[in-house]
Amino acid sequence: MAGNGKVVRPFAFFRAGNQAHANPNQRPILVLEDVYKFFRPDVPTLRGVNLTVERGEFVFVTGPSGAGKSTLLSLIYRAQTVDEGRILFCGRDIARLTAASIPYLRRNLGVVFQDFKIIGHWTVFENVAVALEILSMPRRLVRARVSEALERVGLAGRGGELTSGLSGGEQQRVAVARAIVAEPALILADEPTGNLDPTLALDILTLFEEINDTGTTVLFATHDHSLLEARAHRIVYIDDGRAIEARKGLGAWADRRTA
Amino acid sequence: MPFKTAITRAARAMREDLRLHVVAISSLTVAFLCLAAAIFAVTNLSSVAESWARQGRMSVYLVEGASPEDVAQLRLLLDGLPEVREVEHVTSREARAELAREAGEAELGRLPADLFPASLEVTLAGGTSAARTAAIAERVRRVRAVEAVETYEAWFGRLEALVATGRVVALVLAGLVLLCVLFVVANTIRLAISGRRDEIEVLKLCGASNGFVRGPFIVEGAVQGILSSGIAVGLLLAAFLALRGDVDATIAALAGVRAAFIHPTIAVLLVVGGGLVGAAGSALSLRRYLGV
Ligand SMILES: Nc1ncnc2c1ncn2[C@@H]1O[C@H](COP(=O)(O)OP(=O)(O)O)[C@@H](O)[C@H]1O
Ligand SMILES: [Mg+2]
Repeated sequence: MAGNGKVVRPFAFFRAGNQAHANPNQRPILVLEDVYKFFRPDVPTLRGVNLTVERGEFVFVTGPSGAGKSTLLSLIYRAQTVDEGRILFCGRDIARLTAASIPYLRRNLGVVFQDFKIIGHWTVFENVAVALEILSMPRRLVRARVSEALERVGLAGRGGELTSGLSGGEQQRVAVARAIVAEPALILADEPTGNLDPTLALDILTLFEEINDTGTTVLFATHDHSLLEARAHRIVYIDDGRAIEARKGLGAWADRRTA
Repeated sequence: MPFKTAITRAARAMREDLRLHVVAISSLTVAFLCLAAAIFAVTNLSSVAESWARQGRMSVYLVEGASPEDVAQLRLLLDGLPEVREVEHVTSREARAELAREAGEAELGRLPADLFPASLEVTLAGGTSAARTAAIAERVRRVRAVEAVETYEAWFGRLEALVATGRVVALVLAGLVLLCVLFVVANTIRLAISGRRDEIEVLKLCGASNGFVRGPFIVEGAVQGILSSGIAVGLLLAAFLALRGDVDATIAALAGVRAAFIHPTIAVLLVVGGGLVGAAGSALSLRRYLGV
């Protein structure tokens, strides 16, 4: 069992917040080096992806359906394992973590999906609190942190409602709250607006930008051109299994702040 | 703390999927009830066997109209043997009265007394071997006033065999119940896992350790084992208390011992064992269907 009552955070010092601001020269939060992923022996889905993400950046990951965006993200939260290459998260190679270490990696990541992945028969509070309960956090602290997260996603005071009764956009906000409540350094969003209509999609994008404004790095996978055009963030285009820099962004949050 | 949340989450899951768990617990209760009943039977049989073994007995039936001198001489002979602890003279009249009382049939009391042979009831010292008892019987049998000698050897042998068989049956039953509990719990937990795939996925994505994911399922398996064995022991106890009045008199009359319930240690072992096997059954399922 995790923790013996203590909060286990081997990467605790990599949390979001002031450190990036205090030391803008520190190493990038995420580096992919020559990453290969094969689902079939002869046809690699990813063939030599190189990508560096600075602390506090907002990066769109795009490309046609089936290009490998989801695969790329799943290698980072370790639902998949790389076949070749390295992935450095906060300087550590997570490509070949042992199964027992994967939970500790995931506690430092927030992941949001197109299909929300929230539990309909749980309340909003329970859906968000679960990310803290696995850390064996005391009940009172959980309550305070969850209500703060719900406030940030615009669901203040709605913790008692069943999530199955919420609209799609609200359900995705619950998922975002769950992703940010443990204050991870990096948020991975895999087509988080794919099930939402255009105005809601923009709302959710804005929500991620607000989270990014507090220093959290965001990797936002989407094939929705209207979103890419609506904002000036950096775009990484996945094509033929490789990552291409399609647009330079405004830089990392730390750089923007110090600039 | 993780243990506490495992219990909280298990309690909640069991409430949400009450039917599944009620069905599992009731079938397991039946299995445990069979085992507990077998243990109960063996417990009482062996206490009868023990009491018989403790006090070896011999009935020396006298020929009809044996003279008081002959009887006195026979008593003298018996009292002279080191293994003989006590000799009691039961007349025909007394034999009739005793049978009538034990059987609770007043009718028997009206039969002619000479239908019941007079006897000397001999109590042997504890630990007298079967061979020695047989030798004494042989010697007594040659006395003129003796019609027959009953050493109860055959009865005792049969009872011993029954107890031995009972023990084997109880052991086999225990094995079957163990398999049954493993099977039922593993299946129930398999269903519980498939009903909660989404929750498990969310937990793992949030970084829950395998232990955190397993915890409630293990608790659920253990609770199934503990509840079903506990209910079975409770039901048996209730039945025992309700029927004790009748059963006790019969057993006391036949075997000279009082009916006893399963020893408390064995009852506790049954419940603890039920819990452990339930947890193991759950762990099997988790390993197989969750890979954790
Ligand atoms: N678990 C998997 N097993 C086999 N093939 C997969 C698996 N996941 C993805 N793929 C394949 O990898 C390719 C990229 O898929 P994906 O990463 O989901 O693309 P995207 O998210 O860009 O639409 C697809 O051809 C898909 O069939
Ligand atoms: Mg995808």
